[in-house]
Amino acid sequence: MPRPAPLLIPSFSRPKSRVAIRGSLAYQSDLAAVIHETIREFDLPVQGKTVLLKPNFVGFDPLGMVNTHPAVVSAVRETFLRLGASAVLIGEGPALDRDTQAVLESIRLREYSGPLSRIFVDLNVDDVERVALRTHASRLSELYLPKTVLGVDFLVSMPKMKTHHWAGVTLSLKNMFGVVPGSCYGWPKNVLHWAGIDPAILDINAAVRPDFAIVDGIVGMEGNGPIQGQSKQCGTLVFGDDPVAVDATCARIMGLLPEKIDYLARAATLLGHIRPEQIEQLGESISKVCTPFAVLDAFARLRSSM
Amino acid sequence: MSSTFVENICLPYLLGAQNEDGGWGFHTGSTSRAEPTAWALIALLEVSSSDSHKQAASKALQFLGSCQLPDGSWPSSPELREGSWVTSVVCLALLARKECAENVARGLTWLSNELPGEARTVHRLIRRIFAKKPAGQNASYFGWSWTVGTASWVEPTSHAIIFLRMMPPQLLSSAAESRRRMGETMLYDRMCVSGGWNSGNPMVYGVPGEPQVSSTVWALLALYEHPDRPEIQKSLAWLQAHSSAIQSPASLALTIIAFNAYGRLDASLIESLRGMYEKNEILWNVPEVAWATLAMSATQSWLQPKSYGKAD
Repeated sequence: MPRPAPLLIPSFSRPKSRVAIRGSLAYQSDLAAVIHETIREFDLPVQGKTVLLKPNFVGFDPLGMVNTHPAVVSAVRETFLRLGASAVLIGEGPALDRDTQAVLESIRLREYSGPLSRIFVDLNVDDVERVALRTHASRLSELYLPKTVLGVDFLVSMPKMKTHHWAGVTLSLKNMFGVVPGSCYGWPKNVLHWAGIDPAILDINAAVRPDFAIVDGIVGMEGNGPIQGQSKQCGTLVFGDDPVAVDATCARIMGLLPEKIDYLARAATLLGHIRPEQIEQLGESISKVCTPFAVLDAFARLRSSM
Repeated sequence: MSSTFVENICLPYLLGAQNEDGGWGFHTGSTSRAEPTAWALIALLEVSSSDSHKQAASKALQFLGSCQLPDGSWPSSPELREGSWVTSVVCLALLARKECAENVARGLTWLSNELPGEARTVHRLIRRIFAKKPAGQNASYFGWSWTVGTASWVEPTSHAIIFLRMMPPQLLSSAAESRRRMGETMLYDRMCVSGGWNSGNPMVYGVPGEPQVSSTVWALLALYEHPDRPEIQKSLAWLQAHSSAIQSPASLALTIIAFNAYGRLDASLIESLRGMYEKNEILWNVPEVAWATLAMSATQSWLQPKSYGKAD
């Protein structure tokens, strides 16, 4: 049975969101323990369910700053299996290169997660189903989306913490561009750019809102992201049951004002929370892990004075 | 060795993945779509030797005919009722068959008339008023887009040029010929600084873009008529330098196809490709198996201009 469309709930009637920050991490640390302990705190309904992890896999990344690190993806996968999920798939539809296996081999996913054919779904070439877009933030009225994404019980957005030269930041909401199939829209999925990146982010997330988000901010990217920026050590993982609240928290960690990020401010009306008083903060405090990220001049207005 | 690989691995997979409706999806059991069907058909026609191949090809032709849209284009997925880059690939597949001449002619008309978003009057006007142009490329050059109304990119432009190059010259209108030349100019303009191509951004905010194997191969095949141009030589050198590090069957098969086309066959790459399939540590995918089949072809007849066509 397909996933029900997410409820679009005004902020004032939406319960508080929960976001957990873990700091002082490295890819060599015992991520499995930290991730398991943190996800368990959320008491997620995954017992006997099919979970889909949607990382951000872009391509060759020798400095570990472009893609969600496979060590994080693998540890999250193990955690959901330990929590009783019946299956945990990894799915991505890279935007710029239709050779998905080349992308996966370049980031060595197989070394961390095992044989790709058993666990990985190439969302670019999955069978698709029409989804009517209800928010009409962009001029798109429908999208054809992968049946795997629409069919799983629990969807987890797992982006990298990065700045973005067109959207300001790319986090768990922008990461959902990757579910739009290249086999329908091309590489890149240029129809989303022409519809407007900010409104398209809203439309996609209103159609397939992630149930949970985990942001890899151990090493992020600043400046001319999402591909050609500079590596940024931040040492954090950010978890939460509301992708909007997770992204707002990440923006604050990056020294940016979420209220000034166009799509985040608009997402706060129907998709989640960005105001601190509406977010229950777990783990480390934002101020303790705050690591200002450089942004292009065009986004200087996003900087906070923290 | 290579024919054994095709007969034992590629063809059984392709024949086994064909759906009842005559089409192929991207994987065994998935819904038929025009693009994987076109690639499977091109591969079958290239190596076709038995009755079962001919029957499969005949069913594929019927499927492709059935999903052509009234305006002559093909959609990327049957549910989408709008043309796409797939039109070039399907026309390339049908070009060898005389009985499909009408389908190809309608596809050609659509391709000749369909302008990418940046070439449309409104967009050009906006660009002129605001003097807005993307860094690192000449915005007045255009080719073909992935989907209707969006921008030109390297791969769809290359596919269209490859198809137009295969057309019998007497059937090409001046408009189509003019579009082809403009597309070639666009491809040269979008080449990466180091040689090779990526999806179409050679420079972003002053930072050179990295080339990719698949885009480089398609552009090289599109520009095949200019082997001595320095851009081509530079791009072949880039591909050569990166070929030993390729770890995926799609990129490897495409690289072999490009080297075949330019007379630079490398037996070690063929051995690597065969090894990848034999180890079975890959994500099986119909177009990729079709490219592997084409990589092993000694004749490469699918890349030869057609005089118009063979009836079967």
